[in-house]
Amino acid sequence: MRSMLNRRGFISAGAAVAAGVAVPGLSGCGMLGGDESDPDTLVVHSSLGGTAPGSATFRAVLDMFRKENPGLKVKTLINGDELGQVYETSRLAHKEADVVMVNLYDKTVSWTELGATVTVSGYLDDWDLRKRILPAALAEWTDEKGRLRALPYIASNWPVAFNRGLMRKAGVEDIPLTGDALIAAARKLRAKGTAPVTIGGNDWTGQKLLAQIIQSFLTADQAKKLYATGDFSGIKGAREGIEYFVELRDAGVFTDKAQGLTTDSMTTQFNTGAAAMQSAMSSALARVPDNVASQTDVGGWPLPPGAVHDKPTILRTFTVSGFWVSPNGTRKIETVEKFVRFMYRPEVVSRFVSEGGRDMAVRTDTLSDTFPLVAKAQQLGSSVSQVVLPDLYVPPSAVQPMIQATSTAFTPGVSSRRILSALQGAYRNA
Amino acid sequence: MKFRKSWLPAHILVWAYAVLLAVPLYYFLASAFKSNEAIFAHPLAPPTSFGFGNFRTAFESADLGMAILNSGIVTVFSLALTLGLAIPAAFALARARGRAGAAIERIFSLGFLIPTFAALFPTFLLSAATGLFHTRLFMVLFLPATAMPLSVVILIQFMRTIPPEMEEAARIDGASTFGVLRHIYTPMCMPGIATVLLLNFLTFWNEYLYSLIIIGPDPDLRTIQVALPTLKSQIGTDYGILTAGTILTLVPVWIMYTLLQKRMQQALVSGAVKM
Repeated sequence: MRSMLNRRGFISAGAAVAAGVAVPGLSGCGMLGGDESDPDTLVVHSSLGGTAPGSATFRAVLDMFRKENPGLKVKTLINGDELGQVYETSRLAHKEADVVMVNLYDKTVSWTELGATVTVSGYLDDWDLRKRILPAALAEWTDEKGRLRALPYIASNWPVAFNRGLMRKAGVEDIPLTGDALIAAARKLRAKGTAPVTIGGNDWTGQKLLAQIIQSFLTADQAKKLYATGDFSGIKGAREGIEYFVELRDAGVFTDKAQGLTTDSMTTQFNTGAAAMQSAMSSALARVPDNVASQTDVGGWPLPPGAVHDKPTILRTFTVSGFWVSPNGTRKIETVEKFVRFMYRPEVVSRFVSEGGRDMAVRTDTLSDTFPLVAKAQQLGSSVSQVVLPDLYVPPSAVQPMIQATSTAFTPGVSSRRILSALQGAYRNA
Repeated sequence: MKFRKSWLPAHILVWAYAVLLAVPLYYFLASAFKSNEAIFAHPLAPPTSFGFGNFRTAFESADLGMAILNSGIVTVFSLALTLGLAIPAAFALARARGRAGAAIERIFSLGFLIPTFAALFPTFLLSAATGLFHTRLFMVLFLPATAMPLSVVILIQFMRTIPPEMEEAARIDGASTFGVLRHIYTPMCMPGIATVLLLNFLTFWNEYLYSLIIIGPDPDLRTIQVALPTLKSQIGTDYGILTAGTILTLVPVWIMYTLLQKRMQQALVSGAVKM
């Protein structure tokens, strides 16, 4: 058989392809970037891209901003989990974006301290944004030296979602408010072949739930100290919290093989009705299908006897996304101001709530009609107690080891002593 | 052909291996037409519909059209530069008889020993110092450098199999050194060149770490491997869309492999016979 590619054909095809890609490459798009220093170009680096919740809204409002500012070119750079690394290397080369939209977590906690971004304390009042942002959000984004790291924008509630339909079928009429009621409900659900609480024991969702359960016996101040130091054996409430977690786990409260699940398998188990309960961020609740959402309630995590909280607990954070200003951004601060003030307009904020299903760190009366569970979570108010999100206090180098230790905790048969040791071990080199 | 019983174990093993390969491929293709719920709940069930919604969403959300074009630019120019440098280098080294040639050949072989991560930081510094950070041009210059050791070593072996009489005959006919390379060595080494082309194409097209750091996330410049992860979210990934996007990125690889596989097989077979 004759070869598909003879020499002449091979060279011709190569030349044609090269020519095909070379023309647009060398003309329209150019081989060089360099927009970072252009005063008429605003470069925004964001984790709100692809199919992330709210990214379609972000794209839509950016188009609005472009139409309002025809002389200004707005370039968006999108990264997911690797945004921190990409921004930091860009900063080293002095070619970083002007504004970064990312959460306060892991690497970003130290950006202001390291000079990777500038403090925005002054801009808060200069741009008249103080009255737009929730005071609790400003407190979370302010570091120990009083510097506001970034302007808070997106927040999140972290309630427990209860599929009342599945619970009723198993003979569980009420949402469990205590640990004993949760264990009893888990037994009934398992008898019907339904997983009780689904959780990504192998990733950050498991880490957050473990932290939440441990805090049943910790005040906010104790919890902050615990996560900053990793002294799980020295703080009495932490030991009790781990023991309570083991009690729940060994009673079959969590879904089988939770130690190997991730946030995706967790949400899928809940969304398909394979599990009756999940502790989920409100942005995940926005993705619950209508048939499940219609029979789902949200509430807090049940408490054990002797807990320091008087109501079931939820996590709540204002650190999901904020506007960080880079040193490059300070060189065209008027443009940055124009963009940031636009993003805080009530109608723009409302779109993130109503279209994107996001909670905001900004004052707004908008409730999400399209995402009923997100709206329910927003309305929980004082019916639940709030525990501390560890993200701000755990040293960045201990974040990933903590997640690995979490998987150990969700593994059946692992003792509380071993969990405690694994959690402390996560801090050893931090 | 008559089926012999003694071949039965081999047939069983081959078919078992084929199934082992086909099942994940089927799972991958089927997932591109499903929702997350269907993927997790019934992983091996066929899709209930064959709509292209996931493909469309992936293409639009991650701006894959531009990313494929960027990957094409980087890959094609890098391949051209690699071949442009590797073929003459291999030609010279294959014909060299002195110690210097042997030493240079060994230096090329040492290139295999440099770990990818170890070179990242110096490469980043170089791109920043040259003003080529956040450009595709730097990658077009950098990728051939990483591909040279393998390319030169492979091509040297092919060129050494060409009988010296061929070159002598060409010389008698008045061919210059370049003429010998152009009319004797290059055509006779086409299977080797195709092998180098295919191996480097796969490496360049799939390159992620350096593209992420050096070219960066600008949708006008980023490559397909940098664009694709934007379909993944820490809060929750739609695997149907992610799989559909991944399939789109594999189409050029499949085309390239289809075009070059015969040449590559020829190269392998010819090598076996010459041994």
